[in-house]
Amino acid sequence: MAPAENPSRERILERIRTALESAAPRRQPAGPPGARQIFPPVGDVLERFKAECKANLTEVIVTHGSEGSATAIQGVLASLPEGEIYVQDAPEFRSVAQAWPGRELRWSSEGGPREASQAALTLAEGLAAATGSILVSCSTGGRGASVVAPCHIVLARFEQLMPDLEAVLGYAHEKGIAAHNSFVGLITGTSRTADIQRVLVIGAHGPRRVVVVLQAGN
Amino acid sequence: MNSAPAQEFLRRAAERAADLTHRQMLRAGMDHYQANFAKGRGRFADWEAARQRCHEIKWEGVNHLDKYLLEFEARVKERGGRVFWAENSEEARNYVVNLAASRGVRRVVKSKSMVTEEIHLSPALEKAGMEVFETDLGEFIVQLRNEPPYHIVMPAMHLTHAQIAKLFHEKLSDVAGDDPVSLVAAARQALRRAFFSAEMGISGANFLVADSGLVAITTNEGNGRLCVSLPRIQVAVTGIEKVIPRLRDLAVLWPTLATAGTGQAITTYNTLVGGPRRPGEPDGPEEFHVILLDNGRSELLADAEQRDVLYCIRCGACLNTCPVFRAIGGHSYGTTYPGPIGSVLAPHLRGPEFAHLSYASSLCGACTDICPVKVDLHHHLLHNRRNAVNAGRGRFGERLGFKLWRWAMAGARRFELVGGVVRATLRALYALGLEGTALDPARAWTRNHAAPAIPRASFRKLWREKNGAR
Repeated sequence: MAPAENPSRERILERIRTALESAAPRRQPAGPPGARQIFPPVGDVLERFKAECKANLTEVIVTHGSEGSATAIQGVLASLPEGEIYVQDAPEFRSVAQAWPGRELRWSSEGGPREASQAALTLAEGLAAATGSILVSCSTGGRGASVVAPCHIVLARFEQLMPDLEAVLGYAHEKGIAAHNSFVGLITGTSRTADIQRVLVIGAHGPRRVVVVLQAGN
Repeated sequence: MNSAPAQEFLRRAAERAADLTHRQMLRAGMDHYQANFAKGRGRFADWEAARQRCHEIKWEGVNHLDKYLLEFEARVKERGGRVFWAENSEEARNYVVNLAASRGVRRVVKSKSMVTEEIHLSPALEKAGMEVFETDLGEFIVQLRNEPPYHIVMPAMHLTHAQIAKLFHEKLSDVAGDDPVSLVAAARQALRRAFFSAEMGISGANFLVADSGLVAITTNEGNGRLCVSLPRIQVAVTGIEKVIPRLRDLAVLWPTLATAGTGQAITTYNTLVGGPRRPGEPDGPEEFHVILLDNGRSELLADAEQRDVLYCIRCGACLNTCPVFRAIGGHSYGTTYPGPIGSVLAPHLRGPEFAHLSYASSLCGACTDICPVKVDLHHHLLHNRRNAVNAGRGRFGERLGFKLWRWAMAGARRFELVGGVVRATLRALYALGLEGTALDPARAWTRNHAAPAIPRASFRKLWREKNGAR
């Protein structure tokens, strides 16, 4: 936007610069100085990831090799109602899609998920063990993939499992995931609300079910 | 403090404080929060270290605001987004309304945003002929009731399940039952139609990430992510103070915000958006606009003493712990931001006629103790009081009282003399049955409480009688 179209920009910046000529104090830590550990140690990343996912209602299926993952995905799909499945257009899914006969598939290369989608099937950019979180982006099925369908199935590999958010966000920054996607998102559990007298209800706007198929080996 | 907002505040507060059903709802909500917060805080190795880190991140962002805002703006533009700087509410509203009108927008979906409440955006869009849907469930409920949010994080926490069920039956179709699951399903269905037909999605921002040009939006329901995914135009309206330096800063800000807000380890959906859909991306908006709102924030920035108010991350924790909020609730304040943070902000954002809210505090300091970014809230309430008095807004009786108190405190004999006069006066008034009446100088207390027993002599005299001379 040209400055002439937004004269307030310069006025605001001028006010900010004038305001910052006086320094504001920074509150000092209450305890002894030195680096303090904010979060407890993560420990075994797989065990921690599974424990956190259990707490946030994400299902985790650990598989060995692509065949094991295909079987696990097929099992989840079989438990879902009839209807279209939104699938990230990735070689991992193209190679096994023929194993889902009778399922109408909408590939991400055809556009975003439709309202009628029964599930979205995507890859992940990374996983954070300390919070049981999944990092997704436009490159893993797009913006709506993680939130439109009532079930989100995520295929991830063991190597993508990182200890915590610090590692995941550092990875997203350094690998250009944040720079090269118009959307990056973290998912930690199922969609939920407690806005009606504090009663927890799952599936407010997004998925009622999130499944991570965590694959070891090729 | 006799402004119209002050009178209205006193009226509403008295009414709410006497409403036992309301207080019971509030207490249940707050007790629930306190239990979850204690559990959430226990998941940190060192909660105080997290608060300190968040304070430092926000300190860095706010105290280098020009640098980080320009960095953020440059990154957003690189991503194909547009950034508009608005000096005040009117300018921000006009930008969004004109944008919507010029793009033929008929339907707008919004995710929860206190800044859009602050600038009264929804009424402006509706006046321009557009349908506006609040999509956070709590916001949707209060929108159906045509009332403002009650709480920063829990907009409908003042309503019972039965009230919400009745409302939904009146306003929505396809409400299968009265249980929360059926009510949520009805709202989901109604809002799905809105999401898939809206041309514009409006969000606020929890953080603006300077080094990446990303807007961070946090929701549990997923409505924020739908707002930024489905409509063809996306608008983020945010205060200028929301900028943080680095993406990695979110590694501590996200969990701390979640824990302070609801007691969760982390909120379900943390969404980062930084521009329109790129070539090859399956979905997303064609246009992406960020409105950076000043609206009094740069004046607050100029006040180095109170600058840390701009570090606030709108978690609502100070509301939840405040004994005044717990008695009078959110609507009594008559401001967009209720509770301690709202009381501190109001004179800056709304003008000196809202200085009275800084007196709605026991100054217990619980708000300061809980604040996850270490805003010195209760001292700022005192600063506001001082500023109001210095600006000549103190009450005559209060000024006189403090003058007398200052005079009396300057000498032991004076203090004893004044104490004796006050005791004798109160004793005489109460003997005449005037306790709690307009003639009672302690009426603020005695109109609702029994007066404490008036001692027969001063503390010094009683001490001497008991322990002998010093």
